[in-house]
Amino acid sequence: MIVVKVGGSEGIDYDAFCADIAQLVKAGKQLIVVHGGSSQTNAVAEALGHPPQFVTSPSGYTSRLTDRKTLEIFEMVYCGKMNKMIVEKLQALGVNAVGLSGIDGGLWRGKRKSAIRVVENGRKRIIRNNFTGKVEAVNTDLLTMLLEGGYVPVLTPPAISYENEAINVDGDRAAGATAIALKANTLVILSNVPGVLKNFPDEESLITDVPSSQIDHVSEHYAEGRMRIKLLGSKEAIEGGVGRVILGDARQADCVSTALAGKGTTIS
Amino acid sequence: MNATCPICEGEVEIAADVMAGELVECPDCGSELEITSIDPLTVEEAPEVEEDWGE
Repeated sequence: MIVVKVGGSEGIDYDAFCADIAQLVKAGKQLIVVHGGSSQTNAVAEALGHPPQFVTSPSGYTSRLTDRKTLEIFEMVYCGKMNKMIVEKLQALGVNAVGLSGIDGGLWRGKRKSAIRVVENGRKRIIRNNFTGKVEAVNTDLLTMLLEGGYVPVLTPPAISYENEAINVDGDRAAGATAIALKANTLVILSNVPGVLKNFPDEESLITDVPSSQIDHVSEHYAEGRMRIKLLGSKEAIEGGVGRVILGDARQADCVSTALAGKGTTIS
Repeated sequence: MNATCPICEGEVEIAADVMAGELVECPDCGSELEITSIDPLTVEEAPEVEEDWGE
């Protein structure tokens, strides 16, 4: 079992990604796809007059400030535009893909953090009425039923809270939670960079291997921006029993296959 | 402007440009306090809430 997360940043080649997924499925690999949609969400939010706002936590992680309207825009893009685009491309390639959000069938269940701590200009603050959270439980029965039926699940945030509210969750960590729950041997996380870079943005400075004992060190000293959350999701996946995590580049052909062959940053 | 710490009743100096939701520390007892309202100025003991690592 392989869980493949493809990001939503600019530059990602979804045609190439879907073509590679189709090739792997035809070769008999059992796959689950998880995707993002951040750059499209930003564009649609701007167009709708509700520009995105990002906040930074006291330990330096950035995340989208998610009020109810932002959550609805998030759903339009992630569950609508992005999810159906990927499912459509896979169907056209002969893959019987099924698109689901974490809300559907209670697929990804988690705790909502309605109040969060942020830092703005060096000042700490609490922001309320936020719709974010973290996946704590995965409906493996639903995924197993789809996989046994020959379908390829294509999954996307949001997740659903214990109080049945949609919550914005990080897709990399949701993919990690899915890989843990399904006892996947490999988690592939693809984005618009080649992996963890020692000297960001110098792509020649790729760190090819990170032993699990070194994840915190690499995160603290080399990871920039969203890469820190990818490393956090990787650490959680490894600690949860996933054999290896590969952080790879989705801007090129055969991006999943080349990542599985070890191109990128391998964490094990 | 000043507020009274709800924990120790000590005096807490609040900056003029304080924001709603901002966290300040009581200089007397060290409690973390949340500015729950600017006008009128009210402070409460800050809740134990987590960071957000969402998308």
